Amino acid sequence: MSELIKQIAYCIERGKVNKMSPFPNDMKEQPGTDELTKQAIEEGIGPDVILEACNDGMQKVGDKFGRNEVFVPELLMAAKAMNAVMEHLKPFFAAGNLKVKGKFVLGTVAGDLHDIGKNLVSMVVEGNGWQVIDLGVDVKTEKFISAVKENPGCAVGLSALLTTTMANMEKTVSAIREECPSVKIIVGGAPVTMNSAKRMGADGYSPDPQGAVTFLNQSVSIG
Amino acid sequence: MINSAAIRVGNGTPVFNVKIDVNNLKISIKDVCSRMSNGTQSLDAHFYEIINEIFAHLSEKCRIRAGYVICPADFNLTSNRKSKVGNIHFNMGKIVTSQLKNAVQMAVFACTIGPDMENWSRHSMEQDNPAESYLIDRTASVLTEKAVDYLHEYIGGEMAKQNLLITNRYSPGYCDWPVSDQHLLFSLFPHNFCGIRLNASALMHPIKSVSGVIGIGPDVEFKEYMCNRCRIKECTYRRKHVKNTNTIIRGIAL
Repeated sequence: MSELIKQIAYCIERGKVNKMSPFPNDMKEQPGTDELTKQAIEEGIGPDVILEACNDGMQKVGDKFGRNEVFVPELLMAAKAMNAVMEHLKPFFAAGNLKVKGKFVLGTVAGDLHDIGKNLVSMVVEGNGWQVIDLGVDVKTEKFISAVKENPGCAVGLSALLTTTMANMEKTVSAIREECPSVKIIVGGAPVTMNSAKRMGADGYSPDPQGAVTFLNQSVSIG
Repeated sequence: MINSAAIRVGNGTPVFNVKIDVNNLKISIKDVCSRMSNGTQSLDAHFYEIINEIFAHLSEKCRIRAGYVICPADFNLTSNRKSKVGNIHFNMGKIVTSQLKNAVQMAVFACTIGPDMENWSRHSMEQDNPAESYLIDRTASVLTEKAVDYLHEYIGGEMAKQNLLITNRYSPGYCDWPVSDQHLLFSLFPHNFCGIRLNASALMHPIKSVSGVIGIGPDVEFKEYMCNRCRIKECTYRRKHVKNTNTIIRGIAL
């Protein structure tokens, strides 16, 4: 891995977006992912290599999050730094030089209006090369099923923050299973645990966005 | 200062509107950051700057509205564990019913900080400022809880003047009380009470709102929450009330 690529990965890990960004405090005035990615492209570094830097940086900050060494604000800044990279990579996706790994239908289940965690997952998953179809919040089961049918081969992510909406999550998982048995489903949110995920018949559970990426990379065939 | 004014609605039930000034809630950076630290390191200075900027706008962005109605309560209908508040039968479940059974009256309350904070948070996310969006949302959640704490304390003070005691507060959706009862609870309020409305899923708009009941009577008491008796094992509040744990409640919807 070249020094420049390592720098991009480090900026993602630290959430350094660009030179103007005041965050993090100890990297003020230093270039961020925006400038470094532009430089990498100009130097002819392949977009696939740059994408790997995204994975590396997000993996590291995700691990820190799992160890309670960083918290939601830092993770959001990391995702923003990664999105700055993705802006530069968009033309490569459009030209077919980079291919999305697959499609991920994501939404907060019916009866729940919380979206910060879902948005965080969306940003991180998208930054790892997946196309995210974000259905928003308070999403009814029928809308999830329609989206799955419109996007063959996709995976589904369901989010809930309220204890009371976990019942809706379970109903949605069952209904998707019935209509589309082969689709992979991952669930998450503050009240959700591995046990409750298993009980409701989901294929995966993750307490953090990076876990959703790992699930997708391992469970969904990339085509 | 807090004060209240009682009005009577069509059926004669007194309705109390309680004025709460956001400046009296005394929110601190520590309150907002309580779930963002492992105790050994502080947040980056950038986040403190954002929080201070948010605090500077609270008077303008928080429009707290709070109030309650006092209804007669009857918990002697234990055969099917239903309770009666005013003329409404609730299905509060075993835990809430057991905590409120000695109540002779019920303060049915609602409180909101209004829609501006959630709109600000959403706008911030749309402007690609996710950390600021999160910190606005977090501040709004803390303020909502503080406003309800204040309302709870106010009701306790009013009842004390009549030599009456109060219980903990309970809300549909918690302690095994179905969230669908929210519609019944709101039927005890005048139309558009505190500017809060319910959607089909029984969720409140503005989002940063709380509703519930507080038992009143000469023989009720304030108790520890009984999370160990609730069948909802994954409840956020159960995790919060479990002692001797190092688990950080992240409070995010993944």
